[in-house]
Amino acid sequence: MSRSLTADVLVIGGGATGVGVVRDLALRGIRAILVEKGDLTHGTTGRYHGLLHSGGRYVVKDPQSAQECAAENEILRRIMPHCIEDTGGLFVITPADDERYAETFVAACRACGVWVDDVPLAEVMRHEPRLNRKLRRAFAVRDAAADAFLATEANAADARARGATLLTYHHVTDLELEGDRVTGARCEDLRNGEAVTIHAAYTINAAGAWAGKIAGLAGLDIAVVPGKGTMVAMNHRIVNSVVNRCKPPADGDIIVPIQTVAVLGTTDIAVPDPDVFGIEPDEIALILAEGEHLVPGVSRMRALRAWAGVRPLYRDVAAVDDRDIPRTYKLLNHRTRDGVAGFVSIVGGKWTTYRLMAQEAVDLVAADLGIAIPCRTAVEPLPPVHGAPKSGHLTLGGRLRHVESEELYGDVICECELVTRRQLVDAITTGGAANLDDLRRDTRLGMGPCQGGFCTYRAAGLWHELRGADDAGGADAAAALTRHFIQERWKGLAAIAWGDQLRQQRLDELIALEVLGVDLLPAAVIADGARHPTVVTEHAAIATEYHAE
Amino acid sequence: MRDTIVIGAGLAGLMGALALAEAGRRPLVLATGHGATHWSSGTIDVWGQAASGGPRAAVAAVIAGDPDHPYARTGVAGLEAACARFRQVMQAAAYPFVGDLHSDLMIPTALGAFRRAALVPRTMSAGALQAGDRVLIAGFRQLRDFYPPLMAQNLRSQGIAAHGVYLELPPVNRNLDFTTRSLAQCFDDGAFRAHVGAQLARLRGDASHIGLPAVLGMRHPLDVIAELERHSGGQVFEIATLPPSVPGMRIASILERAIVAAGGRIQIGSAVLRGVADGDRLTTVISEAAAREQQHRAVRCLLASGGIAGGGVRTDQTGAVWETALGLPLAAPASRRAWFASRSLDPRGHAIFRTGVLSDDRLRPLDQRGVVVYRNVTIAGGALAGADTIRERSRSGVALATGWAAGSRLAAIEA
Repeated sequence: MSRSLTADVLVIGGGATGVGVVRDLALRGIRAILVEKGDLTHGTTGRYHGLLHSGGRYVVKDPQSAQECAAENEILRRIMPHCIEDTGGLFVITPADDERYAETFVAACRACGVWVDDVPLAEVMRHEPRLNRKLRRAFAVRDAAADAFLATEANAADARARGATLLTYHHVTDLELEGDRVTGARCEDLRNGEAVTIHAAYTINAAGAWAGKIAGLAGLDIAVVPGKGTMVAMNHRIVNSVVNRCKPPADGDIIVPIQTVAVLGTTDIAVPDPDVFGIEPDEIALILAEGEHLVPGVSRMRALRAWAGVRPLYRDVAAVDDRDIPRTYKLLNHRTRDGVAGFVSIVGGKWTTYRLMAQEAVDLVAADLGIAIPCRTAVEPLPPVHGAPKSGHLTLGGRLRHVESEELYGDVICECELVTRRQLVDAITTGGAANLDDLRRDTRLGMGPCQGGFCTYRAAGLWHELRGADDAGGADAAAALTRHFIQERWKGLAAIAWGDQLRQQRLDELIALEVLGVDLLPAAVIADGARHPTVVTEHAAIATEYHAE
Repeated sequence: MRDTIVIGAGLAGLMGALALAEAGRRPLVLATGHGATHWSSGTIDVWGQAASGGPRAAVAAVIAGDPDHPYARTGVAGLEAACARFRQVMQAAAYPFVGDLHSDLMIPTALGAFRRAALVPRTMSAGALQAGDRVLIAGFRQLRDFYPPLMAQNLRSQGIAAHGVYLELPPVNRNLDFTTRSLAQCFDDGAFRAHVGAQLARLRGDASHIGLPAVLGMRHPLDVIAELERHSGGQVFEIATLPPSVPGMRIASILERAIVAAGGRIQIGSAVLRGVADGDRLTTVISEAAAREQQHRAVRCLLASGGIAGGGVRTDQTGAVWETALGLPLAAPASRRAWFASRSLDPRGHAIFRTGVLSDDRLRPLDQRGVVVYRNVTIAGGALAGADTIRERSRSGVALATGWAAGSRLAAIEA
């Protein structure tokens, strides 16, 4: 089986940057196809802590990044308020930090144009009663919490509405080369093994931490360093605003309140391969120990889950360690850099600057294609998406208001995250979800305290009714989906399962094994590497987060 | 004076309390909550693997192969005695169980998988379907915990002619959040049952059996089933679904009533904080009451506070593991690194879930050197070391056997 498709531009990578690129292309009327080896946001975008940077984190060591963040922060608040909760942010000096850093920090903020305000500690404690009572200084910044799932979905929806094609579970196996020109890519549709060739005048490599692997297919060497960052989600919002340690960037220096949880982050460890990494117990211990400086007692609170994402760090200068690699992005024109035409890589950067990265890449490509239409992504608002408010900023409690105003109590399929039957039905019938983990990215299914203990079976039941009822393999698929989702959730549980969360895990086992018998159905075990038409299980190309035995 | 203390009100604690009450010991059951029974499938599962000779032979083989398994503390005879008494009590409460220890019944789960159970409430036993049976699976869209089309299709793939439908919810005067429990209350209403029965009659077609989620009334499910069978002409059975479990609640409340009738007392909401001992005898149990501690003299004490699921065993991020009520020594993995297998559903299970109290052949707690910690304490159920009863599918069997045995043995201890 094989297919062939043609576009003006091929975009590789379905994270924030790639989807931002394809929307920018679509807004300029350029025919584009995006390919992503997993689901949209399957990679780093779906695994980040959700911080919309004010720029404060970078003012001292990386002023260019700080300025970019500060500018993009304001733009994103305008074009996607519904994907951003305006939590505000704080930089605080704890008893463990050097108080003299405060002056350095404030001066650097002023120099970079990053808004900062000295806040009286009494006021900080009123707003953040769980913070360390021995804080010495606190500064307000324009940090906020961004829902990267909603934002990517909004960009994707707008791109599709404007004619772009987004192909998920399409894994690039090779780049097409004609002489010194990249003319597209060959992909494998991981859902059915089909070979798909995409011809394009231009190819934009927006594969993030995987960009080095993609460039390597054209024989090019770009120094992308996958920098693993591990995070821990706590089961409630222990802070109301983003709280940063006011000191040079280091491991475990931030807490981001995002939707119903608070995320403690992060570590930064270079990994050789962005597809193969684990979460080490030491990392969790360090994150919790550092968190104690900000919120005393945090390490005894209930952690929901730990996970890691890989930053797409680009090393074009000698850096002593990963934290010294600039967080700014770089557009690599492979024609001028390597003599390979029709191919650019957009590398480095961070979620907050995804739009700017997309703009710069598309500016170059449009100019090469002789298209003079300017970028409009800084002014064109993103469309509404499911799960986000129709107007104004995202707020905690918005979902509850929706459930209460519509009296949807009996229709709440995932109680932890208030995911309704309607939301799931829409995601199952209209989206490109291939499994329940994709539904999670679409709706937040299974992301709360029970980690799917109850909603997995319910979602599988709905999935079967909507997608599989007439298909001979439908129910089998639903059982496989159940087992797949249980394992996907498990990946992030082992690292933090103790106390109440371990107890929860045992209840979830009781439900899965004693009550449902998910392991007792015929063909219960899907062989490693085997394919299922609707369930992409553990293909090597998209199976991340391996744990050491 | 109530000087017999039972800690925990799950299946093990209640069976133990019943044994104590029937021996005239007037037990006081102290528990934080209702235990795992309310989460369970409501059947008595003795062993998950097939064995020629049935569950009785399977347990005999387990005991022969693993002298530290909880079943080794009761023997096959202890399991048989517990099952016999359990069946009598359930029968007397008009909630009879069928099956025995010579063969398992294979009954379907809400996912359509067949699982083995030794004792099954009569409300579920018609679900032991055979290839060639024709069955209608019916549920309510308003109940988010049961999906008839999914279950029916999985039954079809195993050779059973099954069809899944949603029934129209009869008119009810209540809010819109339907749980298993609130639906069970709906079935106590005659008009509701008649409405459902009429729909089943219309939808049954040539089906000989009709499966419904396990919500067919809280107190008189056999009457509900009889009425639905009269209306529909099919054999009606219940299917266990997500917690809260109506069949589990029925078992708990029947046992609770039997205990009270035999002179016992049950105090839910009383977490045991610690025990006080005099040498190798526990003398006092201290529980949490409103803003104070309550002391209970303990001539004898049964610990049935559960394992990690039940809350009897707690853990923390340092890898520490402790028994919450009496602070008894535990057999546990050496460090957190040894807690888990890499696959969630690994058939070997996760080592941490085997954590529990070691016991001697009379179910008395042992320390690491094999010395009895308290001579007047016995241990039952999930609090016992040596088994991952969820993986083994022996959870309710072990709770029943060890609860009954631990209670019976404890009753013999004199002040």
